[in-house]
Amino acid sequence: MPKANPRSRPAPVKLQPALEAIADSVIEASLPNGLKIRLVPNSSVPTCSYYTFFKVGARNERPGITGISHLFEHMMFNGAKKYGPGMFDKVLESNGGSSNAYTSNDLTVYYEDFMAEALETVIDLESDRMKSLAVTPKMLASERQVVMEERRLRVDNEIAGMMDEELGALVYKAHPYRWPVIGWMGDIENIKREDCLEYFRTYYAPNNATVYIAGDFDPKQALALIKKYYGSIKAGPGTPPVLDAEPEQKGERRAEVHHPAQAHSLMIAWRGPKGDDRDTFVLDVVQYALSVGQSSRLTRRLVFDLEVAVGVSVDWTWRFDPGTFTVGLELKPGGTPAEAENALYAELERLGKDGLEARELEKAKNNLAATLMRELTTNSGRAHALGTYEMMLGDWRRGLALPSAYEGITSDDVKRVVQKYLGRERRNVVTLIPTNGAEA
Amino acid sequence: MKTKKTEAPLKLRPLKLPPHEKRKLGNGLTLHLVPRGPLPLVAVRLVMRGGSVWDPAGRAGVADFAARLFRRGAGGRTADDLSEAIDFVGAAMGGYANEENVVVSLSCPSKHLESMLELMGLVLLSPDFPEAEIELARRRTLAQLQNELDDPGALGERAWARAMWGDHPYGHETLGQKKSVESMSRADLVQFHQTRLSPTLGHLYVVGDIDVDRITNVADRIFGSWKGGPEFAPLVPDWDGPAKSGQVIIVDKPEQTQAQMRIGAAGVKRGHIDHFPLMVMNAVLGGGFTSRLIREIRVKRGLSYGASSSFDMMSGAGTFLVSSFTKTESINELIDVALDEVAKMRAKGPTTIEADTMKRYITGLYPARLETNEAVAGAIADVQHYGLPEDWISGYRDRVNAVTAKDAAIAAGKHLFDDKRVIVLVGNAEALAPKVQQYGPVSVVQPADLE
Repeated sequence: MPKANPRSRPAPVKLQPALEAIADSVIEASLPNGLKIRLVPNSSVPTCSYYTFFKVGARNERPGITGISHLFEHMMFNGAKKYGPGMFDKVLESNGGSSNAYTSNDLTVYYEDFMAEALETVIDLESDRMKSLAVTPKMLASERQVVMEERRLRVDNEIAGMMDEELGALVYKAHPYRWPVIGWMGDIENIKREDCLEYFRTYYAPNNATVYIAGDFDPKQALALIKKYYGSIKAGPGTPPVLDAEPEQKGERRAEVHHPAQAHSLMIAWRGPKGDDRDTFVLDVVQYALSVGQSSRLTRRLVFDLEVAVGVSVDWTWRFDPGTFTVGLELKPGGTPAEAENALYAELERLGKDGLEARELEKAKNNLAATLMRELTTNSGRAHALGTYEMMLGDWRRGLALPSAYEGITSDDVKRVVQKYLGRERRNVVTLIPTNGAEA
Repeated sequence: MKTKKTEAPLKLRPLKLPPHEKRKLGNGLTLHLVPRGPLPLVAVRLVMRGGSVWDPAGRAGVADFAARLFRRGAGGRTADDLSEAIDFVGAAMGGYANEENVVVSLSCPSKHLESMLELMGLVLLSPDFPEAEIELARRRTLAQLQNELDDPGALGERAWARAMWGDHPYGHETLGQKKSVESMSRADLVQFHQTRLSPTLGHLYVVGDIDVDRITNVADRIFGSWKGGPEFAPLVPDWDGPAKSGQVIIVDKPEQTQAQMRIGAAGVKRGHIDHFPLMVMNAVLGGGFTSRLIREIRVKRGLSYGASSSFDMMSGAGTFLVSSFTKTESINELIDVALDEVAKMRAKGPTTIEADTMKRYITGLYPARLETNEAVAGAIADVQHYGLPEDWISGYRDRVNAVTAKDAAIAAGKHLFDDKRVIVLVGNAEALAPKVQQYGPVSVVQPADLE
């Protein structure tokens, strides 16, 4: 991955005053071992948030060990050299803190919220597991059961989970986005301890990590502590590149999930651009215009006017490689999927043909700006948002400059992008077929 | 932590609480104004006692149904027109009801606060309840109620609420039930609006980037002429504890490979004298990530991904809930461990080290619970609504720190259940029923029975 050559910074843009103040507060540093550090001091509440972003996720897996990124995330809480099994959270909680983590297709992210005085303890805890995680057979065996139960909860016994898993395998033929982040059950059952150790050596090295600290702390002191605790960790060999060999989709793909349910539902997805592509921001605008607020196009048309759906959701999550633009339609009992699909396609066709009216475009931009502002209201939100922007766009500054990037988007951009990505030949449709006759 | 010594409470930095101005308008509406920067955002909540508890017989859900319709047509402006105005500036506005309150909430960029307050006044004071919107909402709510039957967690909550509350009005599901939603008329909604809302019951919280005097004037202009409605909210009737005490209820979902478990029992009202000892005790039992339930269920046995216990404290009554899930085959082990942990806690309470750890955990993180405008508005509203002491927020951490392990043990012995509990399971009834006879009489219900 091209971490050694940070992308050149974008030309300076004028930020809104509140965003400018945040930008001015950020301090950047890195250690010789490659660890990147970003400090975002703010003393409005006497707590801190500590985020560690590792550039590893389901994208870095291969068939046979799908789900290892996520299983590994669990293992990171099961003991290292200095703080043994169970100690991580015990020490943290007794210092007025709490922790959690998540795994996505591209990233594994660990975070703690804690009272400001506990900063050194948190740095000690986090560096301990980066330096010397223990993967014992006993902890692995127990954690494997926990993850299998998590999979039963989120996928095997959850309709949206089943559909989403089917959708991934439909949209992607070659790319690792094809399998679910939690992994296939058979793989979770069979991941070996050696696979975990290999994973740790490759992906949990300081040169694959970025630490964000936001909150009430002294930056100088924090940097000194980071050097003290992380300085001795050796750089890793670098991570192997992930090839995006996904072929162009040549026609609509469809799949069905048969399961007891009250009503049909639909997930419809198109493969979009990469997260740092300019078209990604245009799709942000499209997503908001279609689904955010009761006056948004799909909500108004499909839910209120035609009543072909009870609920509409649009997900456009940025990813390193081309991600999916997904529309979820919850139908009412007795509703017809074809009707809902046709209503959706008609709206997309209209959008591709006529674009957005000036006021709608402005509305979407206003809402995107408000969302960005709301993300930045807490220490945790600031660390997470800036870190995610850096991971996805190469620089957190580009995140704070998003309102300006959105500002430049025109109705013609919307037309072009909708035509380019959201067409018939590129769509993927998963239909939930109720098996208990409730559909009548 | 092998040593036995007591850990000192954390030295706590003062909370930087923004000034909270309380002002009363001539018509009795109370304003709570909290100027707070630096981001150009504001959170507004108008809260009135009048939630689903007071929904009349046969009309469960009317408060929430009506409140959600406030913005679907008001003061002669159509739903589309209002939505367009709200959405355009990047605001979020909506009405809803929970068990005890009717709430209209608004979140917006501060430069649009006044125009959004105008709209908020319109939707609160002059909802039109257009017939077409009522029918649309009815169809949509009925579909949502039915679709929810596919969600094992939601089914568990519904079955649990019924088994716990029986006919008590806290058992009114806020969304209502099929029958009540089918029978609601426009007259019911108008009656709700006229007879259950009033400025004397109302509290308007405005938190964020504001000028206090200016907002007082604006609020007076918009809400000052609001008149009528009840002077007082009626009291919540007493509750005798779980309606189906000692029983086991299985919601049958034959296709499930995993069973959801909810164990319920009586808890305490909000503001109860044992509030803080119970909070510390519960954090040890099933609150944080190092809780006994997590340790025994997840870490030691790999039985589940999650396990927790919690007290839900409302003004008239409260409940205690233990919640987890596991693969069907492991259900006995899960229930046994959960019951055993509650019994152990009831008998002996937490150790001093456990209690101290959780006190540090709760107090250390407390300031982070007051980080957003919404959270500050919510915390202040709770103090007002539940009649808590004025220094509830500023003295919160001291009150937690004052709890001893012994206090927590006494509270556990007094309030944790012995045999007065209900067990609700959602899963494959055929496989589950024979396994769970030992916990009490078993009855099986179908998801459709919970509609």
